[in-house]
Amino acid sequence: MTRTTIGDIAVNGFVGLVLAFLLFPVLVVVGISFSSAEYLSFPPPSLSLRWYRAIFSNWQWIGAFLLTLQVGGITMVLSSVLGVPAAFALSRYSGRGQGLLNMLILAALITPAVIKAISIYLYYVPLGLLNTVWGLAFAHTVSGIPFVVINVVASLKNYDRNLEHAAIIHGASPVRAALGITIPIVAPGIAVGAVFAFMQSAQELLVAIFVLGTVQKPLSVKLWEGVQVAIDPTIAAATTAVAGLVLLGLLAVMVVNSRTRAAASVA
Amino acid sequence: MASELSLSIRSGRPALPAAGSKARPFILQAILLAPVFGWVTAFFLVPIGLMIWRSFAEAGLAPYVTILTSPVYLKVLITTLKICLLTTLGCLALGYPIAYVLTVARPTVRGVVLILVILPYWLDYIVRSYSWMILLGRRGLVNQLALSLGLSERPLSLLYTLFSVSIGMIQILLPLMILTLFGAMLRIDRHLLDAAAIHGASRWRAFRTVFLPLSLPGVYAAGLLVFVSALGFYITPALLGGPEQTMISQTIMVLASDLLNWPLASAAGVLLLVVTTVLLALYNRFFSLDRMFGGVTT
Repeated sequence: MTRTTIGDIAVNGFVGLVLAFLLFPVLVVVGISFSSAEYLSFPPPSLSLRWYRAIFSNWQWIGAFLLTLQVGGITMVLSSVLGVPAAFALSRYSGRGQGLLNMLILAALITPAVIKAISIYLYYVPLGLLNTVWGLAFAHTVSGIPFVVINVVASLKNYDRNLEHAAIIHGASPVRAALGITIPIVAPGIAVGAVFAFMQSAQELLVAIFVLGTVQKPLSVKLWEGVQVAIDPTIAAATTAVAGLVLLGLLAVMVVNSRTRAAASVA
Repeated sequence: MASELSLSIRSGRPALPAAGSKARPFILQAILLAPVFGWVTAFFLVPIGLMIWRSFAEAGLAPYVTILTSPVYLKVLITTLKICLLTTLGCLALGYPIAYVLTVARPTVRGVVLILVILPYWLDYIVRSYSWMILLGRRGLVNQLALSLGLSERPLSLLYTLFSVSIGMIQILLPLMILTLFGAMLRIDRHLLDAAAIHGASRWRAFRTVFLPLSLPGVYAAGLLVFVSALGFYITPALLGGPEQTMISQTIMVLASDLLNWPLASAAGVLLLVVTTVLLALYNRFFSLDRMFGGVTT
């Protein structure tokens, strides 16, 4: 059974090729961002940081970055505040509301971005929310909520509810028990969901173009405009900087995850 | 809202939910769910309602007739479906073996492969499409290789073709396919494979007659999910496709932001929405949601 066969080698080779297909394009962009050449060529003739210097000394790029942080930050907080109670309801009760919420979450995740973009534009014109940071964050929150709900539901599944019951028996109100006992224990799940909500906001393009794109440009819009004209590696450096940020977010998530796992195994 | 919540908190003191009266959990549940429903209604459902209204408001059914009869728009619809189908099949062909290996692999191997699969999933669509522009361009790496190996006399036009759009979209959606398939395959009882082996089946035969049929519902679910996700793509076809590969999202963007033809843009949006909703309803009817969520939360 455990003998290595030609079939195994073929399958493993295939897996390696597909993983390369997934990862190689990313490596190319990273490689070019450190290029010293004025044009796009891979592998780069020699390495330099000139394109990073160009970006980080340019106020347009810094402004775009700060704007993305603002929109993403608001989205993150709103998605968590709205999503966590819903996750509790989803994991603890059953009824009609749950099915409906499931459907809504799936719809919010999968509805094409262009539909969200033109419908929110039509809606914001009379409301006066166009060209506001809040307006964009409100719209991004719709797609951020699913990530919080999904991750918190998953954490609540592994949570031993007797802890909460014990607190209630000892006189805590159910809400105090939920806030004081349950929320801290599922906090990593909330954090993961919040980071994902931030990432989807930072990467969203079409709604950002319609709501904010004409006056202030968040990073995704700036990247998008750059990609269409750029023939030098500036964009590669900018996209790599964004990717680095995402990677940091992912690392944070993993650290939080492994800490909880360690804590859980100690307990 | 806040006072409402604290009121229910105080009145809810005496009983555990399990022991409570029938009415109380219902109220509590409604309070917990109300904010999300309110938000999604205000910033998602009402705007979409407005878009639907806008598509009929000025000229009745005329925009729909235009889209469904004009060769220009029909071609875009057909192209969109063709690209989505190609992408789904490509993702399936590349993703199924990976998902299978993930299912049967040792935990350490599984962890490493999962991280490698998830990593690019969280990179910007713009970044990933851009990298294909660099790779597939006239002086790109693929052409340099082809020229130096003597596979081709002059640079191939790889970019701005059906090929480049499909490759870009497959690369972007492959992690979704793999994670959804993997979630479904984990539910297959692997003892059945052992049972087949004990009764003398080769590994290939056990796979073909036991594992493959049991994995088919997962294949349909993942295929549907990838197809629906592909329908709304904008960035990748805009960067990697030529005029021949225009997809519906691009057309809607041009109608809305360049031509300011809102009735037509809205009508096209409604059509896209109808197709998406029908496919999603199908998904929801046959596959439970947690199957999809299994992937996101690994």
